[in-house]
Amino acid sequence: MGEQLALHGVTRRFGDRTALDDVSFTVRPGRTTGFIGANGAGKTTAMRVVLGVLAADAGQVTYGGAPITPAVRRRIGYMPEERGLYPRMRVLDQLVHLGRVHGMTTTAARERSSGLLEELGLAERSHDHLSTLSLGNQQRVQVAAALVHDPALLVLDEPFSGLDPLAIDAMGELLRERASAGIPVLFSSHQLELIERLCDDIVIIDAGRVLVAGDSATVRRSTTGRRFRVRVELAAEASSVAGASWAQALVASVPGASLVGQDAGTLLVGLTPAADDQVLLGAAQAAGTVREFAPVLPSLAEIYREVVR
Amino acid sequence: MSPGELGPLASIRVIADREIFVKLRDKAFIGSTIFMLLLVAVGTAVPVLLAQSVPSLRVAVEGAGAQAVVEQAARLGEQAQQAQPSIPPSLAVLGAGGLPPADLTSVVVEPGTDVERMVRNGDVSAAVVGEDVGSLRLLGAQSVPLEVETLVRAASAALQVERAAVAGGLSPEQVSALTDPSVPQVTLLAARPNGTVAPELLVLVFAFLFYLSVLTFGMSIAQSVVEEKQSRVVELLVAAMPVRWLLAGKVVGNTVMAVGQIVVILGTGLLGARLAGQGQLVSQVLGASGWFIAFFLLGFVMLACLWAVAGSLATRTEELQATTVVMQVFVIVPFFAAIFALEPGSVQNWLSYVPFTAPLLMPARVVLGNAAAWEPVVSAGIVLVTAVLFVLLGARLYEGSVLHTQSRLHARQAWRAWRSERR
Repeated sequence: MGEQLALHGVTRRFGDRTALDDVSFTVRPGRTTGFIGANGAGKTTAMRVVLGVLAADAGQVTYGGAPITPAVRRRIGYMPEERGLYPRMRVLDQLVHLGRVHGMTTTAARERSSGLLEELGLAERSHDHLSTLSLGNQQRVQVAAALVHDPALLVLDEPFSGLDPLAIDAMGELLRERASAGIPVLFSSHQLELIERLCDDIVIIDAGRVLVAGDSATVRRSTTGRRFRVRVELAAEASSVAGASWAQALVASVPGASLVGQDAGTLLVGLTPAADDQVLLGAAQAAGTVREFAPVLPSLAEIYREVVR
Repeated sequence: MSPGELGPLASIRVIADREIFVKLRDKAFIGSTIFMLLLVAVGTAVPVLLAQSVPSLRVAVEGAGAQAVVEQAARLGEQAQQAQPSIPPSLAVLGAGGLPPADLTSVVVEPGTDVERMVRNGDVSAAVVGEDVGSLRLLGAQSVPLEVETLVRAASAALQVERAAVAGGLSPEQVSALTDPSVPQVTLLAARPNGTVAPELLVLVFAFLFYLSVLTFGMSIAQSVVEEKQSRVVELLVAAMPVRWLLAGKVVGNTVMAVGQIVVILGTGLLGARLAGQGQLVSQVLGASGWFIAFFLLGFVMLACLWAVAGSLATRTEELQATTVVMQVFVIVPFFAAIFALEPGSVQNWLSYVPFTAPLLMPARVVLGNAAAWEPVVSAGIVLVTAVLFVLLGARLYEGSVLHTQSRLHARQAWRAWRSERR
């Protein structure tokens, strides 16, 4: 079982540019945490601070409530954004080396590396130089490098970039598996739908500041308020007479409602916390035959656009 | 499975192991080692082979006395080939074990022939002229071959003694005892301190080995650093251990390989010399190589961290040429300085205390025999202190630059970057 990893008010400057500005969030054990942000938002810097590759100018990183130690850091499985393996070293040899760097005995590292390569379908390439492998396979070796020492914590910078759709599924599976084994998993990605599908928790960072952090479902519910999808089949004469404006009229008749989007007879309606969804339903029924009436959570992409704007 | 606590020593060992492992599989390294071994083998074997071949010499003979002496000399040369094979002919020439082995062929010429011209033209190696054994002339062009001179002198002496003995009425046994006395066993108590190879040559060989080794292994440290930077592996490593341990591991690994290679090469040379029967050379080199290896180790470590810095200032292998220029100067200039300061004198004395040239010149002075016992110790101390300073400087610059993967750095930037880069 892993412990909780947390950043408390971490600030890091490069010259006069502030890459991280009072960044705080937690990565809980047994859960996957998605780290979202544009290029240059500070994701990689934050991860490097967690790893100790960069020092924080202020704030601290804790693990299990206590300041993180080099011994804990050595138990992190890390995949750097720009990757990093020896191109002219045999696949198995370098996994064994990295295992030893993380404190394993040669025997244990060899055993574990062989097992991982077997699992990843690379057993027959064990004795080839890394540079002779396809990019996809190199990426798999990189995954093995992050897992070889059976990490107590996973920090992966853009683990999905450069993967084909099947490999993306496999990687997602692997992250979920690790999280269910009880360790905290933090990863960054540009692919918001992937994060939406895989993550229990999310952290959105922009220009070095954390905008949103927390349980994914809560964030999606709270950030943009309640939303309902209403599909109405209009009476024939109504649709020809009123055209598009019937929807405006419908929403206007409900206190606290606003029209977020419309696709023919399907409306996306936002409600303020005080508004009554049953009034909306009534109004819709008055307009025509209601075929669908359901609360919807906004997509992560929508939230992201909204908070970053 | 619980990853053990990895202390600094264990961490350094892991990094050093990889450096060694990679070197042992590196075709260029294996190739260059084999090449140097061959060079050493050839270097020890060829002079011995050359020396061991018995020279064939033609000697022109004019007159009865001359003929008798040269025939006797040829017999002595032949006997010497069978006797005492343990002493190399080159030493025998020096009189170490009796007469030199040689194949002498006498070319009898008619009286009145221009013997001098034959000698000048090189038709014969030398000429012996004269009717009377007691008054012979030995002619040579620029010099008389040592073998000929020694053998002819011995033969002439023997014949004269024999003649005098017979005239004095001695029995043939007594004559034989006189002319073929048992030669005393030669034992050199104070053999030349310079042994069998000119000490200058030995110093040159040592200097060249040091130069070559520091240059190739220094370059290999720089390459190993930039490879990790370029491939970004360094980020994985630095996440798992302090940068200093990483640097230490690299330096240790490459030092082990460099010293190992030198020891293997010296060992091969010594083994070759022993097989070739040059016991004196072996003890001479062994005596000198202690200080040589001590200074080699100090000198190598002194520069090793700076080589790592040269690597970490670059971001790609292609930039190494530019960032290692200073280091190459640090190695090449002292090498030539040491070679030009081979003559004992005040320049040599001073340079043998300068940290860059000391590793070359102090062992040289020990070999040449012009250093007092305390001098190498003091000089080694100076190199050691410099090494410590350079290691500290190198560590700081390395820490300041090894994670900077965007662009080439200058040492000054690395110095300033140090504070901000690491916990």
